Amino acid sequence: MAATTENEAPELFGQNKATLGRMISHGGVGYAEEGPDGRMHATIRIEPDQIAWEPAITVMPHGGDLDLTLINDDLNTHCALLPSNGDSQFLWLVNHSRGTATLNLDGPGYYWFSSPTGNDEGRGLTGAILVQGDVPEEARLDRPPQPRP
Amino acid sequence: MTEQYVDAGRAVGWGSLSGMPHSAPQVAQSVTYDRILRARSEPYNWLTYYGAYDGQRYSPLDQINADNVRRLTPAWVFQCGSSGLHAGASTYAFESTPIVVDGVMYVTGWDGFVWALDAATGKELWRHKHAVPFDTSLCCGNVNRGVAVAHGKVFVVSANAHVLALDASTGQVVWDKTSGDVRAGESGTQAPLIVKDKVIVGSAGGEFGVRGHLDAFDIETGDHLWRCYTVPKPGEPGSETWPKDGEAWARGGGNPWLTGTYDPELNLLIVGTGNPAPDFDGGVREGDNLFTDSTIAVDADTGEIRWHYQCTPHDLWDYDSIGENILFEQDGRKLAAHFDKNGYAFILDRTNGQLVRVFPFVDRITWGDIDAQGNVTAKVYPEKEGDPVHFWPGPAGAKEWTHAAYNPNTELFYVPVQDVGATATRRRREFKEGIPYWGAGVAVDGTDMAGSVSAFDPATGNEVWRWRNEVPMCASVLTTGGDLVFAGEPTGEFHAFNARNGAPLWQFQCGSGHHSSPMTYSVDGRQFVAVPTGWGGWVEGFAPMMLGQTHGAALFAFALPE
Repeated sequence: MAATTENEAPELFGQNKATLGRMISHGGVGYAEEGPDGRMHATIRIEPDQIAWEPAITVMPHGGDLDLTLINDDLNTHCALLPSNGDSQFLWLVNHSRGTATLNLDGPGYYWFSSPTGNDEGRGLTGAILVQGDVPEEARLDRPPQPRP
Repeated sequence: MTEQYVDAGRAVGWGSLSGMPHSAPQVAQSVTYDRILRARSEPYNWLTYYGAYDGQRYSPLDQINADNVRRLTPAWVFQCGSSGLHAGASTYAFESTPIVVDGVMYVTGWDGFVWALDAATGKELWRHKHAVPFDTSLCCGNVNRGVAVAHGKVFVVSANAHVLALDASTGQVVWDKTSGDVRAGESGTQAPLIVKDKVIVGSAGGEFGVRGHLDAFDIETGDHLWRCYTVPKPGEPGSETWPKDGEAWARGGGNPWLTGTYDPELNLLIVGTGNPAPDFDGGVREGDNLFTDSTIAVDADTGEIRWHYQCTPHDLWDYDSIGENILFEQDGRKLAAHFDKNGYAFILDRTNGQLVRVFPFVDRITWGDIDAQGNVTAKVYPEKEGDPVHFWPGPAGAKEWTHAAYNPNTELFYVPVQDVGATATRRRREFKEGIPYWGAGVAVDGTDMAGSVSAFDPATGNEVWRWRNEVPMCASVLTTGGDLVFAGEPTGEFHAFNARNGAPLWQFQCGSGHHSSPMTYSVDGRQFVAVPTGWGGWVEGFAPMMLGQTHGAALFAFALPE
């Protein structure tokens, strides 16, 4: 029988348990909130000694601009390299610091982000931003609706 | 505790933490349609994807020639590894053709990278990075084949089917349009083509059962001007070649996923189209399946198909005809030459699409025959469910997307040849949007393969010379006024051959396999030959015995010692 979630097999997830680090993308899911101007905003933290993003997955309801707040509550220095159209965005996050990033993402689809220092990425500081929605109507194929999986 | 946080500030662009100046000279402002029309009159530049609209991949430059090429040496190298996780991390490849305008080189990498470089030194001037979703559908790797440049802008498609116009001086976005539906499995890989006031872009995604299309966008505004579907709807011309009932046409493929050539006198885009979908299961799409596996001539102003020639009717082997159509003249006739994945070369009258000559260009062809009149007889193909069938060439073709070249001095075509077979076993599956739709299990031969650079006389179809290789040749060919032919190997060697007899004259080991397109240009009177190297793409399709070859990511520029 396969255990499918962290709750069913907690001994496999976390720093220096079954593995050396925390398996990536195992963590909470957060949802970006959309303001009246269409811009979205969300907050991501690094909890003490977890070496992981919380939430590990941030969900945008559609493509567009995301104002992200990043908080490092850990007792070590990390950083963030985040996807964005034009150029990836980079932020140093020393111990107990807080910063911001503005990202523009098309979607639909999902994008990885990480802390590109040492092997933070392998230890668990690799997260995802998931963009929901569809491409604009004018870009879709002229054909009847097709079955999906 | 919140008030005690250290202020980390705002994130900055990754590229700002580098030594590049973030600006390039404004050389692209003066690049117009008229200049691209006369591209070969300024051979120090490489203004459009094939070097000129005719697709010959020929440069008159002759500073580097058959007499002195043995002294060729690297002048600079641009390295371009990436950071973090990206789509197709194991299949990315450096497949681009650099464009050069008055000393500035514009080149794309995989995963949304565009760079402007100093063409004399290789120094990075600016960088643009489009964010590509990790889960983008990519049949054959995270790749891109280059840019178009005009009116002060650099035009590029992204893997997630966006068309971008960038400021050629800074790399900043001028406009951004969505050209395809990633939820349907569409993507973008080709270099756009500038024609008059239009940016021409074709779709990719034929392995996912989409409906292929070619699009035109306004060069200044990005407004969508026309769309040409390569599979007709019921009632449209060509629809009689699809089943009357059902929606096979709606999933029919035929994507024009490679840059076309252009005849300005006829005002025709000469474009190749891709395989029908599903690739190997013809039982769900009885008929010839127009306009898949075809050369189509498209009115550049309206997007209407003026004529077509289908190379593989009712394809059952994945024989896209996306390969370039090289425009040339012979005996006063306006012709187009196309080396197809099915192993045959087609010489067409490009005024009307009539076949002038057809001849094989690879040793082993077992899928069927094409006679001198162009009649096609299929012989070996996946037919019975679960029954393995072996055929040559395999689904990557006797020539993949990589380009041949034509030298007007020698009047010869130079072709990178892949002699590899494959076994396909039909496995019918239900169509589901966004899921690969092949209709077979396919294994390409891991042994008993060969390759070559072969020279052909288009007047007779005779092979004039052949340079043999132990593995397939999977990169484009360049030919020059210096009586040279350049071609790279999967094992990393970059060669110069004598264009008249095929004699090897020079080689350099680039450290990674070649699956791109070399080009040449000059700056301040010094000629360079540039070639991106970075092995990857659909290697299991065209050279599975080379899947373990080292990955790489470097652009080499060679020149004679100063």
